[in-house]
Amino acid sequence: MLRINLFYRWILAIIGFLPLSAIAQNDCHAMLFGTVIDAETNEPVPYAEVFIVQTSQGTVTDEKGRFVFTELCEGAYTVTCHHIGCSHLSKEITLVGEMNLGFVLEHESLNLTEITVQEKAVELPATQAERSIEGSQLDASKGQTMGDLLKNLPGVTTLNTGGGIVKPVIRGMHSSRVLMLNNGVRQEGQQWGSEHAPEIDPYIADRVTVVYGANSVRYGADAIGGVVVVEPRPLRQQKGLGGDVNLAGFSNGQVGVAAAMLDGNTQLNAKHSSLAYRLQGSFKRGGNLQAPDYFIENTGVKEVNYSATLGIEQRRWSSELFFSQFFTDIGIYRGSHIGNLTDLQNAIERGRPTDDGSFSYELGRPLQRVAHYLLKAKSSVKTGTAGKLTMQYARQFNRRMEFDAHKRYGTLPSELDDPEMMFEITTHTLDVAWEHKSWRHFTGSIGTQATAQRNTTDRGGLIPDYNSQTAGVFWIERWRKYPFPLEFEAGLRYDVRYMDIENRGNDVIDKQLNFNNLSGTFGAIYKASEHFDVRLHWGSAWRAPNVNELFSDGVHHGSASYEIGREDLVPERAFSTNLTFDFDNERNFAANLSLYRNIVQDFIYLRPLEQPVLTIRGAFPSFAYDQTNARLTGLDWNAEWKPAPIFSITSGASMLRAWNESDEDWLVLMPADRFRFGAGFLPKAGKNKWAAVQAPFVRLGMEHVLEQTRVPDNHDYAPAPGAYTLFNLEAGMGFPIAKRQSDIVNDLNLTFTITNLLNTAYRDYLNRLRYFTEETGRNVSVRLKYSF
Amino acid sequence: MKNFKFILALLTFNAFLFTACDKDDDHNHNEGELITTVTLTFTEVGGGSTEFSVKDLDGDGGNAPVADEITLKANTAYTIGVAFLDESEADHTHDITEEVLAESTEHLVCFDATGTITAPIIGDFDSNGKLLGLESALATTVAGSGSLNVVLKHTPDKNAADPCSTGDTDVDVTFDVTIQ
Repeated sequence: MLRINLFYRWILAIIGFLPLSAIAQNDCHAMLFGTVIDAETNEPVPYAEVFIVQTSQGTVTDEKGRFVFTELCEGAYTVTCHHIGCSHLSKEITLVGEMNLGFVLEHESLNLTEITVQEKAVELPATQAERSIEGSQLDASKGQTMGDLLKNLPGVTTLNTGGGIVKPVIRGMHSSRVLMLNNGVRQEGQQWGSEHAPEIDPYIADRVTVVYGANSVRYGADAIGGVVVVEPRPLRQQKGLGGDVNLAGFSNGQVGVAAAMLDGNTQLNAKHSSLAYRLQGSFKRGGNLQAPDYFIENTGVKEVNYSATLGIEQRRWSSELFFSQFFTDIGIYRGSHIGNLTDLQNAIERGRPTDDGSFSYELGRPLQRVAHYLLKAKSSVKTGTAGKLTMQYARQFNRRMEFDAHKRYGTLPSELDDPEMMFEITTHTLDVAWEHKSWRHFTGSIGTQATAQRNTTDRGGLIPDYNSQTAGVFWIERWRKYPFPLEFEAGLRYDVRYMDIENRGNDVIDKQLNFNNLSGTFGAIYKASEHFDVRLHWGSAWRAPNVNELFSDGVHHGSASYEIGREDLVPERAFSTNLTFDFDNERNFAANLSLYRNIVQDFIYLRPLEQPVLTIRGAFPSFAYDQTNARLTGLDWNAEWKPAPIFSITSGASMLRAWNESDEDWLVLMPADRFRFGAGFLPKAGKNKWAAVQAPFVRLGMEHVLEQTRVPDNHDYAPAPGAYTLFNLEAGMGFPIAKRQSDIVNDLNLTFTITNLLNTAYRDYLNRLRYFTEETGRNVSVRLKYSF
Repeated sequence: MKNFKFILALLTFNAFLFTACDKDDDHNHNEGELITTVTLTFTEVGGGSTEFSVKDLDGDGGNAPVADEITLKANTAYTIGVAFLDESEADHTHDITEEVLAESTEHLVCFDATGTITAPIIGDFDSNGKLLGLESALATTVAGSGSLNVVLKHTPDKNAADPCSTGDTDVDVTFDVTIQ
């Protein structure tokens, strides 16, 4: 189930620190903690002995391989680590403040000289609300879109265009209000559109974190709704070669997915220097999806992604080069492409496709074809004992092509296969940040970020060509004096954004726009006890209006509306407050409650106009971009209770009230309240690894989504669909399948999932195709993961 | 073949990585042709003919379409020809009717009438022998007034009970009609 990120600090950071030279300060509140992991499997090692020679203090790692020593005096120590059947490690350290020490244990049979000891930067628990998906839970969602994967987190819903185009919605906010950070780089695609899905390979992720609320200081302007952080696994630290192969099959749409990752590490000649590399790729192919009573035609998908990483780590510096490509072709249900309002009304009246359709892998029009490239170079240099300087340059290129259902009249035969719309966006980003180590209980970082972006619309005049440049500076500090129960974090950021808008289609716009603004954050954590903490976070962020909001002027197909941009829109400004309560007795009960309020001044939205726009194709209701003050209030709840070690009961709830203060009405397209329940059975397999089956589980889940009754008048063509309840079943187990050398195993993991178990026919309010078809029906999937 | 194309696209994209367009790429803002004009030609059986049009020369938005008023004689039989034109370029008119005819199975002209006229009866067929609607007939009776709605459907389901409620609409115009 969901792991609460209370123990975020235990998770290893990416780049190591050098031992500090002693700072003469005899403070006996220093702390040493860390994790012991197995070199071969990357799994934590429980019951390993960790011993401090000078103080004769010893401890044993817990089930997650963690250990901690508190109330130590600062100074030089020798720390040893030992585990039966494994190497004996010893490390000289100079302890200052808090230190995270990682031990990587190798099995005795291997060459003892290859022992590695790494010290890691301390990753502090966040003051804002955030949650992650990783490990087996992530594995169980692989093969799905990034949006469907994130939907497992409380407060995250999706905005769909059918089953294939899925955007994450964080507490009611999506598209350009949610920032995506892919491998440390701010994703710059065509994310403004509600039918533009994130261009990220879900198989690249080792952990996906959602940060709720306004979080601009750390991540950059625009993140007024939240941030999605996609992190790959750190490069391999120990010598050798490893990897995994993933296969997944889904019955609905007959989708097949194959993915593989190869990780290697070689020690270089120089001492303490190593070269790590990774090759990763995934392929996905699917056909027409199926609602309970019919096929939804032209809903196939084709996706090919790959990436390569090269990392060099030296004593004083480290560098990484990363390159990835993402390609997808997604079919869109043909019947959703409509000519005018009458067509839409006819379709709503029908409520389903005209015929039952059939299965096919064929991808026809309407179609989206998207490519995204990312090239990243990153280097970190240790700046003496004081900190670390990180520089990162990234170049992204995104090309989006849309093929309409209906080719324009007068299309030349040679151009019949051409897209009707094509946008290309190229973005360069440069990040420089300096992190400083604990100084009088302050830790923090200061940095700057610059981007240059060019958008060209090569076909179709939906949005104009533009150049944009942004620059920002930030400073964020945290105060923490262990074991004082309170800690604080505060940060400030200033951004400037310049946009030069050229022409849209053949119309010359020629406008220059300047935006600049401050963002701020303040957070506090109060650790009431070892098991309970309270986090308060306040953040303010802003977002400059998008080009489509400024300059749209035309019919939006699929929604049969005429959208009119407004050139004098001002930036949105959000003030979000979040209060989170975390309880975890580390035995059988964990719960998390998050209360939030996000006030957005000058919230940009589409306001319906009284007069429809008349065209030769008939009437279109018209909408103009306008601004209001919005207020989003809600809560997210999540809990897990284990009445016995083999049973687990979970519950979750997400509720949101989104109010348009100027119109005194609800905001359109906001997720309905939802509730989740789950019951899991985790039979005890043999305690040690060599038992036939590892970690078997069966889980039954239920999700109940209410009807969205809080909708504004005159914003929609059909009433919001009714409430629905879905059941899901999930089962999984692992097999150690091959013995290699002494006792090193290769793992095979098998997961079996059925979503929409009862084949329920339902519609979701946040699916743009809900006017035309029901949601997809039952889906049986099998996933296989082989790690070596 | 499709897979091959995909791989080809993949390779081309690769090439683009280092060459991609920072400035003025090969822009193609050819947005295809619009239907700006719908013309109905009423021919009195054994008599002369009159044309009535709806025009929206500036396309979507801007000025709304302008429709002629149709004036017909009472108790008279007419044949009706429908033409779709692109008159957005002043010096060149594109006749889109030819394309509709060339893809006749994918098109259907639907009529609807109110007041003292009835909807015209379609008299032509597509290459599958289904109704098309570029040619139709109408007989007026008493004097009065009403309206005539003309819709051009793309990819309708011609086997459906009501084909005019399927497919997507390329043209949807309404004329006021006076019968004298």
